[in-house]
Amino acid sequence: MSNAIKFTGVQKSFGPTEVIRGVDLAIEQGEIHAIIGPNGAGKSTLFNLVTGRHRVSGGRIALNGEDITNYTPYQINRKGLARSFQVTNIFGNMNVYENVRCAALWNLGYGYAFWHFVNRRRDLKERTDMVLEQTGLTSRRNVPAGLLSYSDQRALEIAVTIAGNASVVMLDEPTSGMSSGETEQAVALIRDISTTRTMVIVEHDMGVVFDLADRISVLVYGKIIATGTPQEIRADAKVQEAYLGTEAS
Amino acid sequence: MEVFVFSLFNGVLYGMLLFLLASGLTLIFSMMGVLNFAHASFFMLGAYFAYQVSDHMGFWPALVIAPILVGVVGAAVERYALRPVHRLGHVAELLFTFGLAFVIEEIVQMVWGKVPVSYDVPASLNVTAFAWQGLDYSAYRIFMLLISVAIFIALFFGLTRTRIGLIIRAALTHPHMVASLGHDVPKVFMWTFGIGCALAGVAGVISGNVLGTEPGMAIQLGPIVFVVIVVGGLGSLGGALIASLLIGILNNLAISYDFSFYPIFAALGVERDVEGILADLVNLTTAGIAPLVPYLLLVLMLIFRPRGLLGTRDV
Amino acid sequence: MIMANLTKPTLANLTKPGVAAGIVAILIILPLLTNSGFAITVMSQIGVATVFALAFNMLLGQGGMLSFGHAVYFGLAGYVTAHVMNGMANEDLPYMPVTLIPIVGGIAGLFFGILIGFVSTRRAGTAFAMISLGFAELVTALTLIIVVFFNGEEGIQTDRWIREEMFGITYGSDIQVYYLIAVWCVIAGIAMYILTRTPFGRISNAVRDNPERVQFIGYNTHRVRWLAFSLSSFFAGIAGALHAVNVEHVGFETVGLGQSGVILIMVYIGGTGNFAGPILGAILVTLLNSYLSDLTPAWYLYLGLIFVLMVMFAPGGLAGLIMMHDPIRRMRPRLLLAMLPAYAVASAVTLVALAGAIGLIEMIYFLSTTTTRESAMILYGIALDAADFWPWLICIALTVGGAFGCALTYPRMAEAYNSALHEARISVAS
Repeated sequence: MSNAIKFTGVQKSFGPTEVIRGVDLAIEQGEIHAIIGPNGAGKSTLFNLVTGRHRVSGGRIALNGEDITNYTPYQINRKGLARSFQVTNIFGNMNVYENVRCAALWNLGYGYAFWHFVNRRRDLKERTDMVLEQTGLTSRRNVPAGLLSYSDQRALEIAVTIAGNASVVMLDEPTSGMSSGETEQAVALIRDISTTRTMVIVEHDMGVVFDLADRISVLVYGKIIATGTPQEIRADAKVQEAYLGTEAS
Repeated sequence: MEVFVFSLFNGVLYGMLLFLLASGLTLIFSMMGVLNFAHASFFMLGAYFAYQVSDHMGFWPALVIAPILVGVVGAAVERYALRPVHRLGHVAELLFTFGLAFVIEEIVQMVWGKVPVSYDVPASLNVTAFAWQGLDYSAYRIFMLLISVAIFIALFFGLTRTRIGLIIRAALTHPHMVASLGHDVPKVFMWTFGIGCALAGVAGVISGNVLGTEPGMAIQLGPIVFVVIVVGGLGSLGGALIASLLIGILNNLAISYDFSFYPIFAALGVERDVEGILADLVNLTTAGIAPLVPYLLLVLMLIFRPRGLLGTRDV
Repeated sequence: MIMANLTKPTLANLTKPGVAAGIVAILIILPLLTNSGFAITVMSQIGVATVFALAFNMLLGQGGMLSFGHAVYFGLAGYVTAHVMNGMANEDLPYMPVTLIPIVGGIAGLFFGILIGFVSTRRAGTAFAMISLGFAELVTALTLIIVVFFNGEEGIQTDRWIREEMFGITYGSDIQVYYLIAVWCVIAGIAMYILTRTPFGRISNAVRDNPERVQFIGYNTHRVRWLAFSLSSFFAGIAGALHAVNVEHVGFETVGLGQSGVILIMVYIGGTGNFAGPILGAILVTLLNSYLSDLTPAWYLYLGLIFVLMVMFAPGGLAGLIMMHDPIRRMRPRLLLAMLPAYAVASAVTLVALAGAIGLIEMIYFLSTTTTRESAMILYGIALDAADFWPWLICIALTVGGAFGCALTYPRMAEAYNSALHEARISVAS
């Protein structure tokens, strides 16, 4: 079975600055894979490269065995890869229900159709209700997205990401800015949705990382210096030197 | 040959006039992200203020006072009206300046009427500077050219050699950074808007007496100035200069030489008195399509090279 | 980004059979209530403007695209329709009932919309607006060059009477034209409303709100915009055809910046965030334009000022202002009454300020346009001499006093609204 995502020799430079300096990484099907690293290591850039927001300067990226290097974001999404954003990136003028429903439209085959009534389509309704249920937003379905509380917005962010039924989901700092209670809820949600999907998570909260991840990769200065299970990473001398310092809680 | 030089002279003059307008617009757009739809309206105000002032005091005081007045109006507009709209986004700002252009045109009609007004070229310049090959070169036009060039040089040195110029150029691309360095960015914005409008006002003062001062002058010139800054590239004064001169010279050459397109059709075997749509095309001349050229340029540039000739930012 | 209204569109109510029947009834009865031919012409104009305005809002309010050149499709469709009607009259073209001619306009609009839209929608925001301006000026310049199609400054004359149609309709009378326009207005309006309920409509809204995110949920933003542009041009084309039938003449001003500007102002004043907003704006502005432009030379100035003030203070337009109160109406209608005093006071003060400002403007206009040395004029039905100082003094006093009054009373009005909203929410939650 092919890897969910495979980076081969991926490089990215912005002008003269080389941000990603040759990343080789294989994300396995069905795992929860965390990417950690100090600020400026290039984690967001790596995300943006996979999801099509930036073009690579070198190397190749494959999704489920298919080369997707330099595809546009919508082409990549249609192949089954979805991402969330660190800064909440939803449709502020619509309510929660409509946000999620929009995210489900393409996957359910509606395309640019202007000959269906969106309210009457049962499959849309079922998918949307299911995602709202899973992310705990059912009671707030009619609230305009711009008026949600912060943690609800983060939940909506995840809801929009998974509504398209992508098989590979990438979460960019899903718990940033959350209290410990909110973080716990988020972790439970992530674990819940991970049962049927491959997840790649960028996180700074080490507690979350070591709690959730099947494997961890450490990105430092644009290169992966180690990949392995949480125990392996914890024990890795290079990682300790470059990043972890004292042992995480 | 003498026709060529004469048209070139007039073309450069027209181009420099466009540049006066385009430079202010570029500064404002690049710095604040606001496309000042009303920019040509401030040009018009410059002409009308010049008319009013020169009526009482003559042309030379008007040359100084009118642009300053226009600058003050511009700064006031920025401070009290545009600033609250700023947080609503670029589209809202564009709508605001569109409405502003509309309102300024109506106010001008209200105060000065719909009929053109005129103020005179100062007597000292209302002469022929020299004649070359049988064509008279007016002293006033040479004066216009000199003023435009002088302002361009002042702008260039002001932006590249002075401290405030440095701050403005920094704020052009990194307004937030400049703010966190302790500079009063809103104030810089207000000054930029005011100076940009004053530049448009100067162009109005020096051309209002030759082009005619009437309420429709803003809408005639405005769209062409947009073409200039887009073709030249946003954030690039050099690009605006090149584009202005390009359009000015092309326009004048097309009109002076007035080539007919008929020979092309004749070569394809089309008769002179053909009917229908070909009749229109057959009789086309470069003078006839001169009005089209700036807009064709705009559309082509936006399709193939959206950043313009020398632009640095994607629109 | 234009903040669309956050509550449900009012037309949710209109789908109720009673309300729908009521509107249709009004449309049918309206022209029969008056003897004035002018009034019926105005009604027809309102119908045309409504279709155009709704089409324009497909771009602006629903798609987030500001165009300064949408009249291009309106006007080009008008020209095509005029030529087709002339062609049918000359028997150069096969006959088609004039009743169905708006379809031709729609197709023409669609054609040009698809073509020009593909290029235009490659960019967004300010760039898109500038491209639209460029095309508007381009087409305007073409109207003087391609004489065969546009006939320069004269424009194209046409005649809607070609052949007698079903039920003896000839469109000779104004009333028949009105009914034609009213029927197409309703059809087009319903069609555009239905479009908002489709996947395309929803994704178009999403592109308006967050074009980047839309790509990450699988949609090609350019395609969505192009489709919205094309469909919007289709309906603008229908409006253009109706215009050609109504006025029987199409001139170069129908494609230009002025026509585009008017529709933009109409739609914005009415409200871009609500489906009914453009309808409101079309009705209001057309009415005022028809009846006020004779009363005062300052009409366009007032329109421009209203527009600018709305951009600054009421970006949701009139519909937005109305819908702001809808949550209160739904949850606790009585609270609306409680707000009345503060609103009434603020309104009264506003009227005072307006009376003064309008007086000043009217007097200035009068003095600058008077051809004789006379300075006697009539303001609000009062004869006065504009050369005197006291009318000026009074007007200035009213304006300044009113402005101060507004500064005092508007916060109270906002407070009344906020507390009513707050109370309404609490009463529902408890």
